[in-house]
Amino acid sequence: MSLHKLRLAAAVPVTISTFSSRLFLKPFPNTLTLGLFSRRLQPRKPLLVRAFSASAAVQDIPATQTSESSARPQWKASIDFKWIRDNKEAVEINIKNRNSNANLDAVLELYENMLNLQKEVERLREERNNVAKKMKGKLESSERERLVEEGKNLKESLVTLEEDLVKLKDELQHVAQSIPNMTHPDVPVGGEDSSAIRKEVGCPREFNFPIKDHLQLGKDLDLIDFDSAAEVSGSKFFYLKNEAVLLEMALLNWTLSQVMKKGYTPLTTPEIVRSSIVEKCGFQPRGDNTQVYSIDGTDQCLIGTAEIPLGGIHMDSILLESALPLKYIAFSHCFRTEAGAAGAATKGLYRVHQFSKAEMFVICRPEDSEFFHHELIQIEEDLFTSLGLHFKTLDMATADLGAPAYRKFDIEAWMPGFGRFGEISSASNCTDYQSRRLGIRYRPSEPLQTGPKKGKANLPATKFVHTLNATACAVPRMMVCLLENYQQEDGSVVIPEPLRPFMGGIELIKPKLK
Amino acid sequence: MSLHKLRLAAAVPLTISTFSSRLFLKPFPNTLTLGLFSRRLQQHKPLLVRAFSASATVQDIPATQTTVSSARPQWKASIDFKWIRDNKEAVEINIKNRNSNANLDVVLELYENMVNLQKEVERLREERNNVAKKMKGKLEPSERERLVEEGKSLKESLVSMEEDLVKLKDELQHVAQSIPNMTHPDVPVGGEDSSAIRKEVGCPREFHFQIKDHLQLGKDLDLIDFDSAAEVSGSKFFYLKNEAVLLEMALLNWTLSQVMKKGYTPLTTPEIVRSSIVEKCGFQPRGDNTQVYSIDGTDQCLIGTAEIPLGGIHMDSILLESALPLKYIAFSHCFRTEAGAAGAATKGLYRVHQFSKAEMFVICRPEDSEFFHHELIQIEEDLFTSLGLHFKTLDMATADLGAPAYRKFDIEAWMPGFGRFGEISSASNCTDYQSRRLGIRYRPSEPLQTGPKKGKANLPATKFVHTLNATACAVPRMMVCLLENNQQEDGSVVIPEPLRPFMGGIELIKPKLK
Repeated sequence: MSLHKLRLAAAVPVTISTFSSRLFLKPFPNTLTLGLFSRRLQPRKPLLVRAFSASAAVQDIPATQTSESSARPQWKASIDFKWIRDNKEAVEINIKNRNSNANLDAVLELYENMLNLQKEVERLREERNNVAKKMKGKLESSERERLVEEGKNLKESLVTLEEDLVKLKDELQHVAQSIPNMTHPDVPVGGEDSSAIRKEVGCPREFNFPIKDHLQLGKDLDLIDFDSAAEVSGSKFFYLKNEAVLLEMALLNWTLSQVMKKGYTPLTTPEIVRSSIVEKCGFQPRGDNTQVYSIDGTDQCLIGTAEIPLGGIHMDSILLESALPLKYIAFSHCFRTEAGAAGAATKGLYRVHQFSKAEMFVICRPEDSEFFHHELIQIEEDLFTSLGLHFKTLDMATADLGAPAYRKFDIEAWMPGFGRFGEISSASNCTDYQSRRLGIRYRPSEPLQTGPKKGKANLPATKFVHTLNATACAVPRMMVCLLENYQQEDGSVVIPEPLRPFMGGIELIKPKLK
Repeated sequence: MSLHKLRLAAAVPLTISTFSSRLFLKPFPNTLTLGLFSRRLQQHKPLLVRAFSASATVQDIPATQTTVSSARPQWKASIDFKWIRDNKEAVEINIKNRNSNANLDVVLELYENMVNLQKEVERLREERNNVAKKMKGKLEPSERERLVEEGKSLKESLVSMEEDLVKLKDELQHVAQSIPNMTHPDVPVGGEDSSAIRKEVGCPREFHFQIKDHLQLGKDLDLIDFDSAAEVSGSKFFYLKNEAVLLEMALLNWTLSQVMKKGYTPLTTPEIVRSSIVEKCGFQPRGDNTQVYSIDGTDQCLIGTAEIPLGGIHMDSILLESALPLKYIAFSHCFRTEAGAAGAATKGLYRVHQFSKAEMFVICRPEDSEFFHHELIQIEEDLFTSLGLHFKTLDMATADLGAPAYRKFDIEAWMPGFGRFGEISSASNCTDYQSRRLGIRYRPSEPLQTGPKKGKANLPATKFVHTLNATACAVPRMMVCLLENNQQEDGSVVIPEPLRPFMGGIELIKPKLK
């Protein structure tokens, strides 16, 4: 209380001590906080100016937020800071294992500061209320004078403290958002080489003739036109032609029909989305090395995967437990800048700017996500087995996981033209990483037996859902596999049996007569 | 020759008369030309400066072109200016009929200026050659001195004239590109009301129950989700769900299979293209009211129709006559800003930012384009008749034609929810409007009997192909028709018979049990 008074007194004289005395009152690590403030808030007004006109500052808050919007986060992840603080050793090890550059110390310090500041704000509010209460009675005019003055001071202090709190929370968000998801205990620790083979199916086909790669087959069979697309659009774009168009449609139709049998709801999605949705799903829509195409003059961008509009479909909502799991299979086109991509694996259809994909997405209760992760990888394995591919499933090592994934299974299939395995799908359990950003919760049907917290009206408290995503069919990479693996000595390509009914019974892609 | 000398003499003294004397020599309408120059060439260097350092200017030409490139057209249409001049009355009437703001007078004046300047440049070149030839012989030193001086002057004049010629050609391009295509003699002259009904099929279905519009049906049957898309992407985006996804795929698959039977080659296309291709197809990729989404930080944009990548696929090439006609049916997603669109017809799926479409495109000999225009409209009519739609085909009136179209047939189908007809397809014969911009020519197989021009090596001269485009299936508008026309009293929707085999035999979209 006395410390508090000191602060207030210092606030009025409007000297540089205003700020430093406030820092003294709360146990801020000055240098860190100041450093972070100045790094993020470029258009920041000097604190002294704000202290000058406290009531004006109140009015100004929305305007200030707008003008500083480039620095402020547009949305907030519901990060469980308390859990992070209570499990900091595990989080620290996880950050290290995943080769993340997240700064846990900064997060924890900012969090402590934020808590202290919050307490301080609450205490001030209470004090202001007390002053207001006192003023309701009969008072000496000098006493009333004093209380008016005290109330005014309290209000001014509160305004600046609340502003600081907003900034501190923004800063905490900014720093904490780079903390990756935790990792499933079974995930191998290490780099790509440490990834564990979960399953291997088939063996590489033996060719008794010189094989062609898919680019050559695509040219000879008049299936793929990269040259025209390079003129019309740029490199790494392509036209599909003739049977390749039917093959794409067959792959998608067959995949959809197979996955729908497992209870997945088919969707098509918007391919232009707000950048914030991209961020909330854990992708970076901006920056020099972004994979994301942005639309000129808007805050929208093109999706790199249907995972993004799938994640967004239930954004900011509370689902009924009885509605879970929600299982989707979505068809979309995907667009990627492929900035920084280079090397042999960028040849032909393997790495392109635009492609068709069927993507699975599951929203479920936390206790069910491991089950659905296995369901998803099983569906993928079944699909690729039906198509006769030779592939292996990998439990990806910690350093190879994106920030959202708790665990990720990749499938790599044999590509004879490259003479190696190439990734054709990926199945990730993101647990609550995305749902905490997208604001997707559910309300348990039954009151929880343990846990003291209850929502209003005696409803059980909401919980964050878990989200999972998995590639069902990334068309160009499937084409690489199918064309290269099913080529015949005469230059034709056999269509796998399951796809034939979906392409009018075509069994063979034959060289065209010219 | 004497006039010519006068000009050269005037060029050397480097006074303001340099330019005006040149204007005098060639019958330029000074004010006009100067006005146009100054309007377009903001960065243009004063002519006197260029005259000062003629040789430096020669070196500078590429650099100059680069710096002025924002004002310069990036590509040139092979516009037949001679034909326009020789048919100016017809062109003028056509411009008026089509409600175009093209300025024919300016085009013709610029063209005359350009022709004159070109002649002048050629004459100067010849003269310079003559001087060079004279200097090869034995000469008095004073005579040689005089010739050196003359050659130098000639060279300097030539350099600035050639630069002027480049600018004049750019200007001519800029102004002439807004001249619309000529119009088929049968096209009705006038506004939209003047469009002639070519054919009418079916009649509006009589409903003996309260009908729903497609939005209501889409909601009740859990087929379309605009609300989530508004959050994730913005208004006028949507998710398709459940049977609607299958219906989209069925529509596209069925359409492709039907159109392929007519000898059309299926394609998928890039959906990101260079802006220049959009322009060459006759669309405006920039400006406040553009329909085109641009990609941030590149010269690329999203296609509004597959017509654009289809037009681009044979850009800048000479086709064999035996390869014609080239008939394509392409599937793509289309993206439109719909800037400025408003009114009742913007409801639901009728006008959206992103949709799937199958588009036909024909490249043929000029003498065949009318035939293929009728083939295209016939295919459309057959498709929509098979689906049981009530529609009419319109021969669109002159004021309703876009600049590229020589003639355009629209099909409007009955949409019970709107209680009116709505456009579901469009078939345009663009004759050589697009091919002159895209540079698509063919070389006739047989030498022409008439016509004196022959290409080198006795090959017949190349000619511009004709291009035609026509909607085979714009999915959302088809959905409007199918949902609204085929709804039943119990809220279900009957799937037209031809589509059933393409959606796993589904005959009816029933309300879901919840």
